[in-house]
Amino acid sequence: MTQRSDIDPVTFEVIQNGLDALVDEMALTVMRTAYSSIVKDALDYSTALCDREGRVIAQGLTIVMHLGSFPSAVASVLRKFEGRIYPEDLYILNDPYTSGGIHLPDVYIIKPIFHSGELEAFVGVVAHQTDIGGLVPGSNATESTEIYQEGLRIPTLKMHERGEPVEAVYDFIQTNVRLPEKVMGDMRAQIAADVTGEIAYLEMADRYGPLTLRRYSNELLDYSERLARVEIEKLPNGRFEYESYIDADNIDSGPVRICAAVIIKGDEITIDLTGSSEQVPAGINSPLPFSSAAAWGAVRLIMDPGIPNATGYQRPIKIVAPEGTVVNPVHPAPCAARGITGFRIMDTVLGALAQAVPDRVPADGEGGNTIISIGGYLEDHTPFAFVDLFAGARGGRPHSDGPDGVPHPASNIACTPVEIAEAEHPVRIERYGLLDDTGGAGKYRGSLAHIRQIKNLSGAARLQLRSDKRAHPPFGLFGGASGRPSMNILQVDGTDTVLPTMTEVEIAAGGVIRHEMASGAGWGNPLEREPSDVLEDVLDDKVSIDSARDMYGVEISGSPLSIDAEATTALRQSMG
Amino acid sequence: MTGSNPPDDPNRGYRIGADIGGTFTDVVLVTPDGRSATRKVSSTVDDYSVGIVSGIEEILAELGEPGSTIREIVHGTTVATNVILENKGARTALITTAGFRDVLELRRLRIPELFSLEYTPPPPLVRRRYRLEVSERIDANGVVLTPLDMASADAGFERIAEEGIEAIAICLLNSYRNFDHESQLAEVVRRKFPNLFVSVSSEVLPEIREYERTSTTVINSYVGPTVANYLRSLSSQLQSAQIGAPIRIMQSNGGVMSDAAAAMKPSHIIESGPAAGVVGGAYLARQAGIDNLITFDMGGTTAKASMVEAGEPTLTTEYEVGAGISLSSRLVKGRGHALKLPVIDIAEVGAGGGSIVRIDSGGALKVGPDSAGAFPGPVCYETGGVDPTVTDANVTLGFINPQALAGGVITLNRDKAIESIQKTAAEPFKISALDAAHGVYEIANVSMIRAIKAVTTYRGRDPREFAMLAFGGSGPIHAAGIARSLGIRTVIVPPAPGLFSAFGLLTAAPAYRFVQTLFRKVDNVDIEQLDNAFARLRRTAAESLREQDQDPDLGAWTALADLRYSGQGYELSINFSDDGGITSEGLLQTVKRFHEEHDRTYGHRSDDEPVELVNIRYLVVFPSEEQPASVTEIARTNAEAKRDAYFGPDHGLLSTPVVGRADIGAHPTVGPIIVDEYDATTVVPPDAWIHRDELNNLILTFEEA
Repeated sequence: MTQRSDIDPVTFEVIQNGLDALVDEMALTVMRTAYSSIVKDALDYSTALCDREGRVIAQGLTIVMHLGSFPSAVASVLRKFEGRIYPEDLYILNDPYTSGGIHLPDVYIIKPIFHSGELEAFVGVVAHQTDIGGLVPGSNATESTEIYQEGLRIPTLKMHERGEPVEAVYDFIQTNVRLPEKVMGDMRAQIAADVTGEIAYLEMADRYGPLTLRRYSNELLDYSERLARVEIEKLPNGRFEYESYIDADNIDSGPVRICAAVIIKGDEITIDLTGSSEQVPAGINSPLPFSSAAAWGAVRLIMDPGIPNATGYQRPIKIVAPEGTVVNPVHPAPCAARGITGFRIMDTVLGALAQAVPDRVPADGEGGNTIISIGGYLEDHTPFAFVDLFAGARGGRPHSDGPDGVPHPASNIACTPVEIAEAEHPVRIERYGLLDDTGGAGKYRGSLAHIRQIKNLSGAARLQLRSDKRAHPPFGLFGGASGRPSMNILQVDGTDTVLPTMTEVEIAAGGVIRHEMASGAGWGNPLEREPSDVLEDVLDDKVSIDSARDMYGVEISGSPLSIDAEATTALRQSMG
Repeated sequence: MTGSNPPDDPNRGYRIGADIGGTFTDVVLVTPDGRSATRKVSSTVDDYSVGIVSGIEEILAELGEPGSTIREIVHGTTVATNVILENKGARTALITTAGFRDVLELRRLRIPELFSLEYTPPPPLVRRRYRLEVSERIDANGVVLTPLDMASADAGFERIAEEGIEAIAICLLNSYRNFDHESQLAEVVRRKFPNLFVSVSSEVLPEIREYERTSTTVINSYVGPTVANYLRSLSSQLQSAQIGAPIRIMQSNGGVMSDAAAAMKPSHIIESGPAAGVVGGAYLARQAGIDNLITFDMGGTTAKASMVEAGEPTLTTEYEVGAGISLSSRLVKGRGHALKLPVIDIAEVGAGGGSIVRIDSGGALKVGPDSAGAFPGPVCYETGGVDPTVTDANVTLGFINPQALAGGVITLNRDKAIESIQKTAAEPFKISALDAAHGVYEIANVSMIRAIKAVTTYRGRDPREFAMLAFGGSGPIHAAGIARSLGIRTVIVPPAPGLFSAFGLLTAAPAYRFVQTLFRKVDNVDIEQLDNAFARLRRTAAESLREQDQDPDLGAWTALADLRYSGQGYELSINFSDDGGITSEGLLQTVKRFHEEHDRTYGHRSDDEPVELVNIRYLVVFPSEEQPASVTEIARTNAEAKRDAYFGPDHGLLSTPVVGRADIGAHPTVGPIIVDEYDATTVVPPDAWIHRDELNNLILTFEEA
């Protein structure tokens, strides 16, 4: 594989570095100046540079699921404002059905870049807003039956025109969200990042000339495509299928099915999601750009991580997703909590890939981050919303244990510090950590389940839960055990109530929500696990002495604790 | 720790700077009248102090002087970092609030690799079995919800006694607001285990965010016993060599502290080594009347950049220990262990002389981050390396003299270098070896430019407003090319660029920093309470300084406030106007400066937004002992030498004069010129000018910005 003759290899490397630095710098600007926990701590946002046709040239990645979602957003700008795109414009959008959005809380702010009077590129930032109105504080409702209940739909609008803020847009947004200070603060951070990106791009355009920059941008797309094809070529040809389920215990129709067939042929892959459930009257329908990002993300996980984040790498990966299903819903399907579906698409594609490349895919993990939102009004009627994202249990891997405290690959989020949560919100985190003896057994153990226990210190408030993996716990691979199912318990005045994985209820003053995530599943036969690793786990209270015996066939006893080798051999023989 | 009789007269006695690197220990001695002697000795990895002492003894023997002539030793050490990188710290226990045993292990969750199924975080410095819980709880306002139940710690204490624990860290939830429980617990622990190294979070870092505070406290304990042993060993060996001079240790923040203080707060000297070069840069900037300087240090495996602004190094508190190359950690964190103490902000990239050149599967030419290191080394070293490196490219270009590396000690095989470049980087693109080598030179520059951007443009600073100080073995080879690309107009190459960090040690002033989290909206600040809080912090600081043998009254005190727009996640540290005490007017001025600084750093401000005060700080700087010397002995070449050097397709292959530093005069001469010195080569391209200033710095300038 070689570069074109009109591409100088040094200039290419210099420009690629410059573009990567540009989107990283944009991402840093957002991180440092954002207001909401979900952006500044959980880093649920991404930055991108697109060419004048809207193809992503570089993406400052913080969240894999935003990968590949920019082209449809920029396409909506090009479509709607054709002939009316001016320097110093700013566009804003979030609506999946009119404007290429991926759900209402994810708001895109996009800026065109002009050089010598010509439109050259776009910079954009998508950030998950703390609230965008709708049914529940935090706007992550799973209960809505149509998108109109989910909050403010922003079709592609001019937020600024030729540098002038459009007051009406600002007023509309401020009036329709519960926490205007945080939302407007985060939007300012997005705009600041766009400006940062624009300045850096113009400097490069001055240095290399805009047309050269275009030529090299095109080469970057071709280059990422070449790299992807090289990687795919190495995979075995064939058709590999997998299916899994979202509990969806908030709807009558019950579990939602996700089907994935991965068809590898030469240097191309087709991911066919046909067979996935029809769209549902609940907020878990995943718009096509989001479903595609999940599928692309799964394939990227088994590729060379050095492939640039330019849309070229997607060219040899075809996604098939029938309209009207949960993976490609049509108006007016609600989609606020579609993250769950995205995670499940990635898990399912990985499950299929595990058959093609068994030595590269881990067993299933916690299923993506849980969101717990507690929101309402303080005594002085000021609104509050505590939106808590947390994650972190991966499955056992073909060569090592699932690491404890590492989030799902689709949502590489950070947790909000307990002390920050308590200082800024009317909550107390009563417990946060690993649950002993919960990892799925395997030759390589799945990671332990996380527990987070939150007390509501305000008056009665609304509690919104978005979690999964109770009826359908994480799947083990090659003889590894399933992960431990998740659990939600609401404790009010000494009474425990089990809550569904997805729900929206009142939480009384002093009420406590205890969320236990699913644990990682195991990889390989637990009886093949090194007994010394089992002993280390016992010493660290990660595995109990009983589980060591019952699950792993390892007898541990005495003081100090040690392995009874004879008993272990006998036990393993009887169990095997 | 030390204390016999150094010469009292500040005009007498020598000062020693000792800087430890992975391969070499650099020792410099400076006389009161500004002369210097230097020694490069092999680092003694088992006990670095052996190398330092023998280096000092060699210099003294050469001068024919006794150990008593040494007045002060300033030391930059990697001993604390190495303990963490090599996982060789103390067996440490951690005592936490019940229900939060795993804060240290779960970190902030996020991992530094987006597309990885293989990533495993570094193992926590305290194993889960030694993370002990105690029943207690304090809320975010400092109110006790559950009183400390000392009996609940008994099982843990038993475990500490049984398991051969060597150090203990205590970090309880919300202790930044109320440290009563931590203090009570610490008192009992210190009584029960008088021989163990104990760190308490409210003493180490009374700052909000439990993971970062826990991690910092644990680091302090984990490295504590090793650092204390090391400093004891250094001190006693110096005593045996009849050297009784006080030892000062370079801190990560650029100040120095006594060896006794470093033994108590070893977490403050984690980045002791790299700090020295930046501090030396800041000193040089002040001396030369330059406000803004980028320091650029390029060695064998990595390049480091940092920023000096208004004559002072810039600090960060977002550092991670053991994270490896630290550029990516700015955005994608989690590769190392969080250390929330102020550290000089240094960006590091995997580009050095040993960085390997290759073509990837997409057909693109790549340089680094893999490095051939010292072994197998560049191809031209003929020590087993087969992949071409940046040094091979520089040899091919004629930038590096194949006969003169390390003063002729090492001879390089230029033909082998050319051959490897030809095969790997030239043939695939059907270009000449010279053009390919020049491409490698430029690509290496690009990743170093990213490091410089990380400390400047990422902070809202324009590199064009900075001069660049280039040092380290390879720095002055690449400096001109990098400066050109960034629009930097002046490059300074100090004397003995390869030993610059050791000299830098001698320019540091003793400096100490203290912090306390306050956390309230500026509009709600009761000025009397704020005054009290500053007074309390000042008292604690003074007490701590006295413990470290510093007279608080001799220091220059600067009050600072960490401010942010209410609800933001990151603060800016702003000087607090405390002339005439803590007043509302002073607070107002401080907030005003915050708006300005926010605008400068991030490009926007919102004067109507409520501003939050998160931490208050004191910086206490003590006058440094004396002005250090400049190096006066510099080399002149004997013969008129020339070498063919290739300056890219625009200039071609040019017959280039090769000179010594002393041959460069005070009036600018136009390139091409190559300045060959014992420990470094300075490349002056055809479109640059060079002259030497009165401090013997080489100054490169460019015709246009």
